[in-house]
Amino acid sequence: MKFSSQMAYKSADEMIFGTAIKPVKAKRGLVFGGGHVIPEIVPHPRPGSEKTMKSLLREYERANGDALERCVIVGHPQLLIENEHIFQMTHNPKWGGEIAAQSAKQMDDYLQKYGLKAAYRATIADLRKPDMVNMRDSDYTREVIESFAECAKYADIISIESMGGKEVFDHAIIRNDIAGLLFGQAVLGGIDMEWMWNQIVAIAKKNNCIAGGDTNCAQANTAMFMAGGFISKDVPHTLAALSRAICASRTIVAYECGATGPTKDCAYEDPIIKSVTGVPISCEGKTSACAHADLCGNVIAAVTDCWSNEAVEYHDMFGGTTTAVFTEILGYDVAAMNASIDLGYQKEFQACLVNSDKYRGCHGFMLSPDNAWQIGKALVDNNESLYSRGKAAAIKCGELMLGDPKLKLSVFEKESLEGYMKDMKALPDKEADFIDMCLKKYSKVKGFQPKAYGL
Amino acid sequence: MKYLTDYSNIFTRYDLNIEVARQAARKVSKDELLQKVADSVVQGDDEEAAKLTKQALATKSPMDVINQGLIPGMNEVSRLWDEGVYFLPQVILASDAMNAGIALCEEAMGKAMDKKGKVVTHTAEGDIHDIGQVIVNALLNANGFEVINLGADVPVDKVVEACRVNNPVMVTGTALMTTTMTAFPKIASQLKRLGLNIPFVCGGGAVSEEYVTSFELGIWGKEANQAPGMAEDALSGDNWQAMRGKWNG
Repeated sequence: MKFSSQMAYKSADEMIFGTAIKPVKAKRGLVFGGGHVIPEIVPHPRPGSEKTMKSLLREYERANGDALERCVIVGHPQLLIENEHIFQMTHNPKWGGEIAAQSAKQMDDYLQKYGLKAAYRATIADLRKPDMVNMRDSDYTREVIESFAECAKYADIISIESMGGKEVFDHAIIRNDIAGLLFGQAVLGGIDMEWMWNQIVAIAKKNNCIAGGDTNCAQANTAMFMAGGFISKDVPHTLAALSRAICASRTIVAYECGATGPTKDCAYEDPIIKSVTGVPISCEGKTSACAHADLCGNVIAAVTDCWSNEAVEYHDMFGGTTTAVFTEILGYDVAAMNASIDLGYQKEFQACLVNSDKYRGCHGFMLSPDNAWQIGKALVDNNESLYSRGKAAAIKCGELMLGDPKLKLSVFEKESLEGYMKDMKALPDKEADFIDMCLKKYSKVKGFQPKAYGL
Repeated sequence: MKYLTDYSNIFTRYDLNIEVARQAARKVSKDELLQKVADSVVQGDDEEAAKLTKQALATKSPMDVINQGLIPGMNEVSRLWDEGVYFLPQVILASDAMNAGIALCEEAMGKAMDKKGKVVTHTAEGDIHDIGQVIVNALLNANGFEVINLGADVPVDKVVEACRVNNPVMVTGTALMTTTMTAFPKIASQLKRLGLNIPFVCGGGAVSEEYVTSFELGIWGKEANQAPGMAEDALSGDNWQAMRGKWNG
């Protein structure tokens, strides 16, 4: 695997929603990053429906079918449906495959009957909890790989939320330990992703399927959600932002291994990824309030190519089922963005999205296109190792946060950030030295098995 | 790109409005060395806590070091957290420091220190998202409870068996996914069948109050930081109905 060495975009100003330097075409005519934004709906099954394959098939038939139907009812021209595997779908790889086959058939029917262009993303559940299994050699590992093979037969896109390094991350995030984040996210996460993504890309190629992307949901999103909103006291927002910058070093590995996007929607690091790779990205913001709150509801859409809702459990609402309702909302959001593109107002629209949240909080700030691009630049300019580029991205992120007076930080947040910056600058320069240090420092972290990462 | 100069019509930074003024930790011991032990806990410095505990053990009894240095230091941390001065990582680091000192005291005593009571904790079968449980474990431990940590992806039978063997004052269950939280009523049902009416606190991710209060023994935990208070209630003899009445609804 070769590390990225240059930026796909010469400046942040070139980045816009709906268009990617490397667009990706799916079956049934959808083009991601081809000039317009595509809505991505993520239904989640109700508790109890997971009991049998039959009941789960029926649940997804209804949930996915309602989304397709609503597109036709209100006139949305295209739709990406993602099914994020619940445990049972990956634990029983045939289940995930059957659901993918059923969904593809539904989409074929809607294309034939109405001309609706739709695509299906199967996101395999990474069942490998690092402190419980050997990441490279366990029953769960084999089930994950087998699930990819089953789903790639029918899905347009396959993706995952990989878990490498989570054991060290979980230990570090609640201890203000920036070195632990660098080791868990950038180093262990990156090593595990290279091992996993070479296999995923091979499976995708064999099945004429798109290798979508990965996300640091298990770590950077954990940090972001723990940082929470304006009244949480769990994790400083500045630390969550640094965690996000660090994770770009590992998420980008998927694309360095041959994944093409559209990326995973919950990878809030995706604006950074797009600036470096030029692949089409999927993002979620205000429309994912059904699953969680965030402080970047609009700005995160500024350069996206798909617009998602994270996940919504299948239920009835006054306006129909949740998947129908959220498909309608996503589709109208996208219609406004696409109208701005066709009117030539896209940069003005983008400015509205950015001004909404750039200074609302640390995440909105660092993921604003200008700052995301600068963090991406720091990453490629320091590409000697997973560690060096992750650290450079985090230091750049910290410098940006400390350097813009419009981003207001509480005394606690500012002092915390200054502490992390000091800690990072005191770390070894070379990755080998850093790994040696971490292997000693984290040797007692529950379940940490260096051999599972080839260390 | 054009930027606004005034964002007051766009968003309100409530976090800045409610920022709590810095305050120093209070003095908790009249003894100079034990105060230093407490300070090391307040500062979350486990190496310093261990060093000072060793020094203190040269002239003081292990229980004095625990009760007049380590625990008062941790209590001060809890106060600072309750008042919004401290964030969670500072509490966890303080807990690590206290535990480093307690381990040395226990070594000197030749036995484990008495705990308030046992709490069994687990993350639901099929669910590997256990950071909430990790926080619950640390907070319970910091508050003097013995945590029987079953880890993540724990089968129903294993949770029930741990409760049967350990007879805890409380059991907790964490789940991120709605499709894994379905293990909780199964656990509650088996506990009831065995006559183990242990308050069963369930929380995390998509776990809702409506769901948890739909089965007997269930009490919904909204935040991990509620766990010590709930455990104190269970320890004081509150049954699950009383706890549900207090914490839910």
